[in-house]
Amino acid sequence: MTIVPILIIAAISGSASLLVRGNRPWSTGIAILGLVGMVATSIALGATATIEIGGTTLAASDWLRLYAILGSVVGLLLVLVDVSALHEADAPGVIVLGLGAAVLALALPDPVIAVAAATAGGLAGVLVAAPVGAAARAAFVGVRELRALAVAGSLAIVATAWLARPLADLATAPAVFGLAYLAFAVAVAIRFGAIPFHLWAARVADAAPGVALPLLMAWGPAAFAAVALVWIDHSVAPLLLPFDGERAVVAGVGAVSIVLGLVAAWIQDDLEHVVGYTIVADAGFVVLGLTVFEPGIWAPTRTWLLVFVVVRSALAALMVALNGSFGTRRLSELDGWARRAPALAVALVGIAIATIGWPGQLAWDARASIAGLALPDPLATLVTIAPIGGLAVYGRILAAGVRPSGDAVRAGRSERPGWPVPWPARPMVGRGSIELGFERVGHAVGGLLDVLWTLPAAARLNRMGLAALAVLALTGLSLGVAAGGLDVAAAARAVTVVGEPIPSSGPARSGAPVGSATPGLSPTPEVTFEPIGSAPAGQPVGSVEP
Amino acid sequence: MLNPALAAIAAVTIAGGVLAVSAREPRATILGLLIVMLASPLIVEPWPGPLPILARVAAAFLAARLLVIGVRTDGSSGIEVVSSGSAIGWPAEALAAAAAAVLGFASHGLGAAGLGPAEAQAASFALAGLAAAPLIAGRDVLRLGVGSLLLLDAALLLRLGLDQPPTAAEQLVASLLTIGIGGAVAVVATAARAAGGLVVPDETRRRSRPPDAHRPAGRTQERAAGRAPERAPSRTDSPRS
Repeated sequence: MTIVPILIIAAISGSASLLVRGNRPWSTGIAILGLVGMVATSIALGATATIEIGGTTLAASDWLRLYAILGSVVGLLLVLVDVSALHEADAPGVIVLGLGAAVLALALPDPVIAVAAATAGGLAGVLVAAPVGAAARAAFVGVRELRALAVAGSLAIVATAWLARPLADLATAPAVFGLAYLAFAVAVAIRFGAIPFHLWAARVADAAPGVALPLLMAWGPAAFAAVALVWIDHSVAPLLLPFDGERAVVAGVGAVSIVLGLVAAWIQDDLEHVVGYTIVADAGFVVLGLTVFEPGIWAPTRTWLLVFVVVRSALAALMVALNGSFGTRRLSELDGWARRAPALAVALVGIAIATIGWPGQLAWDARASIAGLALPDPLATLVTIAPIGGLAVYGRILAAGVRPSGDAVRAGRSERPGWPVPWPARPMVGRGSIELGFERVGHAVGGLLDVLWTLPAAARLNRMGLAALAVLALTGLSLGVAAGGLDVAAAARAVTVVGEPIPSSGPARSGAPVGSATPGLSPTPEVTFEPIGSAPAGQPVGSVEP
Repeated sequence: MLNPALAAIAAVTIAGGVLAVSAREPRATILGLLIVMLASPLIVEPWPGPLPILARVAAAFLAARLLVIGVRTDGSSGIEVVSSGSAIGWPAEALAAAAAAVLGFASHGLGAAGLGPAEAQAASFALAGLAAAPLIAGRDVLRLGVGSLLLLDAALLLRLGLDQPPTAAEQLVASLLTIGIGGAVAVVATAARAAGGLVVPDETRRRSRPPDAHRPAGRTQERAAGRAPERAPSRTDSPRS
């Protein structure tokens, strides 16, 4: 199956969900149906299926397939947590549309079009950042997000268009190439809210529903970053230009985001800010991955992209569940939360394990590879072990949870299961085995009916238990993906093959960046460059290929 | 080589951009944006086929319709929706756009041979120049939204000037982008209007603390709050030099 059914389901269900936004149950129901359909079609997606539409090929890959499956499943669980805990308006529809746009961007082999698609998907997030009827502050948050998306999208469109044509007669090759590379890398940093471009993201983390945060700050930007990775691999890396200054700037942004993102998450009182800043910290590794022009960066960066978006989605779901349970998202008011919601406490521990990991675990190794390839040794080691600082973030949240319960927690909901009505007593009055048999069958049918017509009320009564179950499911998924389950590592090595299939073992080539990790895509046309310093004086830097 | 037809379309595009950033009346702003969204896909050689053009036109009208919904006046609330407009006036905006257009035309290809028309790059530079002030200094959501839309359109125009003509699929994605940004601007405008007006406070901007000599006295503040009665100025109330 090709990518088209996923896109059609996402477009129809996402739009329909937003069109009936006045009726929240219907809106959510349509979005859930759409996500279920996306899960099914993603599983059926062929890893090498291609289809040509309007002169452009839409191509699938193992990584895209896994992204679509994980995105749909995580989106479904996030919506279930939201329905159980808070039931925010518009968030389900925006999740469906955003995921659809991200899948479209990843299926487009032309980075110029892919960037436009990824930007269009990000715009859907403005709907939840500035909901109708919100305060003036929400409108300003929304317009800041819009501005960030427009600037990032414009930078990326210009950068990709600049390198998409024959560049044999360039006057000043290195500077403008470097600017194009820097523009796209900065665009990715802006989309992730990496430090120092984090102000808009911090406001969005404050204003947007917690359940939409993973889409706005992780899943959508991850697709954008994956497009950037492909573009750098087949348009920038083959140029063999060092770009030392530009790469140092981008590496600085990545390293600073990793460290300061964790510090910011540690000192925040608002749990959604904690989620936002941990995403910023994790995204620092993706930004670091953009500074390496070797095929060896391909697999670890794409592995980390999948791991971090799933893990942060689980953390966001946990925070939404806490907010729904106790009516506050301020850590200072959540004393004793773990006593009332032990399943969520278990989930927090699981998320911490999945996030931080250990040497030998897939997520840890991916981060270590990225840092080792992007940074010189002492700095690489520091950045590699920096996520251990996340223990302080999770420890602080957990420490608040084991303290004596505060007012908000005492007044909040518990995970303890309950049933809305007492079970009816059905005394056995029959005599003989036949009578008793009839009686038992009747009681069984009656009991079943009792359960069926009480289910809606039971779901309402056990909202927090259901939310906790969904969070635990997300945590399990995070642990599995972080440990290499679902064949993440193999999917991360896979490449999109467009046109004639080219035999390739993926990016597992060694040596200098003599080629790209995406052999099916055409590289920057008609130009080859010698490394700076190797060309004799007076000789032009660029030369046309025969 | 200047193509008169493309140059005329580029001029219309730039004029639409000038109208969008200069007008205080939101409907005029949206008319300017509609002109930009309708004309900009046509600054390409050869022109796109009928279906891609139809998609871009439909997207432009839909985006404009969403914008109209976002800024229409609610008669019951009595709130008059007015944008802050340009601080320097339309003639200055037009001159700045013209200068940027000349720069874009002259630098066609940005160092290498451009595969698209130079007129597209000229219009791109002009729109980017027009978008700069609203994006950087805009204090109302409509103006910031106009800046964002013009900037993205400028980027798409630059791509038309640098690279080969877009495929039908690319036109379709550009249509989605147009609808998306129109809808996003409409959403923030609606949210701002519901909160009292298009101009919203920027909480990140620190208020400057006035010097002590110019700070209002406590009694003046109480009077402003209606707690202290007005009284005739006496010698003790006279301002100190």
